[in-house]
Amino acid sequence: MKENVIEINHLTKNYGKSRGVIDVSLTVKKGDIFGFLGPNGAGKSTTIRSMLGFLKINNGNIRILGMDSVKDHEKILREVGYMPSEAWFYDSMIVGDVIKYAADVRCLDCSYEAEKLCERLKVDTHKRIKQLSLGNRKKVSIVCAMQHRPKLFIFDEPTGGLDPLMQKKFFELINEYVNEGATCLLSTHVLSEVDKYCKNAAIMRDGRLTMLNTPHIDDETFLSFYEDEEE
Amino acid sequence: MRSVLKRELLLNIKSLLIWSLSVGSMGLACILLYQSMEGEMKDMADAFSNMGAFSEAFGMSTLSIASLKGYFATEIGAVHGLGSGMFAAIVAINIISKEEDAHTGEFLFSFPLSRSKILVSKGICVAFMLIVFTVVCSLFYLTGFKILGEEIPMDEFFRFMGMQLLMNAEVAGICFGVSSLTGKNRMGIGLGIALLCYCYDVMGRVIPDVKKYLYLGPYSYCNASEIFTDVATSAKAIIVAVVLLVSCTAFAFWNYNKRDLAS
Repeated sequence: MKENVIEINHLTKNYGKSRGVIDVSLTVKKGDIFGFLGPNGAGKSTTIRSMLGFLKINNGNIRILGMDSVKDHEKILREVGYMPSEAWFYDSMIVGDVIKYAADVRCLDCSYEAEKLCERLKVDTHKRIKQLSLGNRKKVSIVCAMQHRPKLFIFDEPTGGLDPLMQKKFFELINEYVNEGATCLLSTHVLSEVDKYCKNAAIMRDGRLTMLNTPHIDDETFLSFYEDEEE
Repeated sequence: MRSVLKRELLLNIKSLLIWSLSVGSMGLACILLYQSMEGEMKDMADAFSNMGAFSEAFGMSTLSIASLKGYFATEIGAVHGLGSGMFAAIVAINIISKEEDAHTGEFLFSFPLSRSKILVSKGICVAFMLIVFTVVCSLFYLTGFKILGEEIPMDEFFRFMGMQLLMNAEVAGICFGVSSLTGKNRMGIGLGIALLCYCYDVMGRVIPDVKKYLYLGPYSYCNASEIFTDVATSAKAIIVAVVLLVSCTAFAFWNYNKRDLAS
């Protein structure tokens, strides 16, 4: 039986009086590409940010790669490649320096992997960050998340801003890393991505999580999660 | 951690250059002006030393601005005190909050570094900036004395610059604590803190009732006219400075480690 890479037990997080996520439990096994669906504000990013230790959780516990998300925060981040939904970097930096900086902070030489990724994603390493479009910033973010060949990828709405060809290349890369033993949590709004690439999926609504029996759900079922919320 | 420190230093180097060169060259220009004003200074010195509370506030009752020592203490002392205090506030007030304000936090916090390690890097960066600023300004002032060929008591000069550095550290420590509160740009608050501390000191020297509480402000122990007339530094003022610096820095660590980080 495959080991659990992500184990979330009864996670509750609120922001004062505002709802974050309520009693979320989730398990992702090694080698999975797990689709994490849900409308805006449903709690997907809150769950991810709790996993990474950006948020202090109110209740429950999270284990990543068998380690406690609070106690072993640094060790976990060594094995995680995270791509936030908004790919922001220091404006004055050059792309190549940002990528090298991300490797240096991890005390790793990732130059070979970074070069390979930049070539495949067509990243111009000589440009300044402030000259980049959202799509190009996202590509830099993908390189930073992948260059150290982590055991777990966490992508928060990764394909927004990427052209279709780059989206295809991005998923090819994920499949390659997953085939080599990595695991991927993919938070997205795009049902077709989940349908095509994910092995398992869950959907969040109003801070609560519902596991889906299959990632191959039809549009109507998918949209019902959004429509119910509007009512 | 070293990479984060290096990045912080690179991000702040422009500000360091602008401020240290500006304040240093302004001080140097004032020193060089001394020679051309030396003759007229004698009359001015008499007038300035008889302005009651204001003469006392700016140290002109104890030191004559007709001498280079007195001129440096009253004129350059004020320029450096204000300039360095504002620089310390500007460097420290955004050093933590800028990550969340500029949305670079998620990039930085996804690295395998604890929040404390990130803060240590940022704290070292602030300390380094203040030390380099003080050294650059000192070199400017010493160059001025050399050009004029005038002697200035070096013990007092270095004591003055050392106390100014401590004052800068205290202002920066307060701003470091404020910077940990939320991820918003608080430049106005930082400058306000520096200016408020300066005004408190000036007011304290003019208003007798406030004078006994002067030691609470960071400008009390780095007053140039007191240092150049060998007035003993108040131990109470130094203790308050160290306590404030340590407690505000500790608050920044405590608060930053317990709060949610904005995206």
